[in-house]
Amino acid sequence: MTDAALTFADIRQAFPGPGGGEPTRVLDGISFAVGRGEFIAVIGPSGCGKSTLLQMAAGLLAPTGGEVRHRGRVIAGVNRAVGFVPQQAQLFPWKTLSENVELPLLLRGVAPAERRDRVAEALRAVGLDGFEHHYPNQLSGGMQKRGSIARTLIYKPDVILMDEPFGALDAQTRMVMQADLQALSRAAGATVVFITHDITEAVVLADRVVVLSQRPSRVLADVAIDLPRPRDVFEPFRNPGFELAYDAVWSRFRTQISLGRAH
Amino acid sequence: MTELADPIAPQAPMRADSPPAPRVRTRPGGGYAARLTPLLPGLVLIAFWQWASGRLVREIYVSKPTAVASRLYELFATGEIFPHLWTTAQELVLGYAIGVAGGIMAGYALGRSPRLARVFEPYVMGFYGVPKIALAPLFIIWFGIGMGSKVALAAIMVFFLVFYNVYTGVRGVDRELVNLTLVMGANQRQLTRHVYLPAAAPFVMLGMRLAIPYSVIGVIVGEFTSATQGLGLFIHEASSTYDPAGVFAGIAILLAFVLGAGSLAGRLERRLLRWRTLSGTSPSEI
Repeated sequence: MTDAALTFADIRQAFPGPGGGEPTRVLDGISFAVGRGEFIAVIGPSGCGKSTLLQMAAGLLAPTGGEVRHRGRVIAGVNRAVGFVPQQAQLFPWKTLSENVELPLLLRGVAPAERRDRVAEALRAVGLDGFEHHYPNQLSGGMQKRGSIARTLIYKPDVILMDEPFGALDAQTRMVMQADLQALSRAAGATVVFITHDITEAVVLADRVVVLSQRPSRVLADVAIDLPRPRDVFEPFRNPGFELAYDAVWSRFRTQISLGRAH
Repeated sequence: MTELADPIAPQAPMRADSPPAPRVRTRPGGGYAARLTPLLPGLVLIAFWQWASGRLVREIYVSKPTAVASRLYELFATGEIFPHLWTTAQELVLGYAIGVAGGIMAGYALGRSPRLARVFEPYVMGFYGVPKIALAPLFIIWFGIGMGSKVALAAIMVFFLVFYNVYTGVRGVDRELVNLTLVMGANQRQLTRHVYLPAAAPFVMLGMRLAIPYSVIGVIVGEFTSATQGLGLFIHEASSTYDPAGVFAGIAILLAFVLGAGSLAGRLERRLLRWRTLSGTSPSEI
């Protein structure tokens, strides 16, 4: 695929075992590509190395084998062209919300006037205008998450990497955030790699779901989700065709879950 | 914190999940009564001292508050104490500043570089264990009988405290936050400015506050050992001439200094670390 934004090519990763024992093989030849403007969800049982893949795409970790390519170029060193949304919001507690959102622009040397405009715009986009001067610990978990997303969207990264971003939120906030993410990523035409362990979330949000197996993990299935957009995230089962798509993913994923029980 | 998500339509624009927590700024203390409460035990102690002196213990051993107060007045009125005060103050400020600066720089360098830390940490640990007071006579030989030796003693006591706090603070910086900032586009200098320094600031402030009494101990021990001028020398002379009122007067001055500097540092800390005190909820609760 030549127009891929991100390509994982036969990625292998092993971590040294405890006390210098046998190394733990986490990833065992993962290959898939993320097309431009595509929303990919990656699901897999816990400990299968989903997050490791994102770290590699961000250039924070070098794979033991294989390579990650971003727009055809092998990633070596920190990849500043991507945006990273971690599981915890990770706003800087010593900066106000607007200072937090402004930081990537500041680091990239954007002029003050433009920074001000873009911060205002980004905060408006995530519905946080009016909270510019609040510190993160004065904001609710959902609001912090919105701030974290605004901080990523503001510099218009080529690919947005999201590591179970809504995992720590309560069910209601989570649905609202899913709806908002769907709207925002569509509006921005963003390429997203979204890690989750929630099948419903994966199916309702993604264009394609990549299912990983237990450790050492391989790609079990790469399921295209051809549901029309916008999708209803609040009542996912009402989306026409949702059950079929869910079953397609679940039928591959369930083998891994019963495997997990046997261990 | 409870989150009330609005049951909005799927494609509705984003909005805040819940109103922000009301700003509750509890002032430490409250009214005058609450502020004066901490003085109570001290006043009781002084009253008891006054009563017991001459009744339970002979006054020649413990003096009494009124005698100490009149001695203090006399010292300031005649100006006898000023040269001592001036000398000690300079030693304190210099020793403290050098110790803090050194502690911050060394703590930061070792905190940022695991390689440096592997080499130097054992040495710092070793020297930390050496009782600095035992070095006082040596320092007099090395740095002379004047201010130099006292500054060095205070600095070395302050250094270790600040060093360990800053070192711990810098090493404790969340790796994920650092990575995130790198991906956002930070270079090393920006990483220092936006992540490491602010993250270590609470530890720097804590170290600086804890170091105040230690700088006093360093200077006074140095002056006790050998000096031509200074509050320590004054106390030493008073005690060797059986003048408990003089000893207590000197101690009272030191006490006032430590309390004053401590409250100043506390105020600076609250001001610089405003983001920590603005809300009652700590980040871990959310």
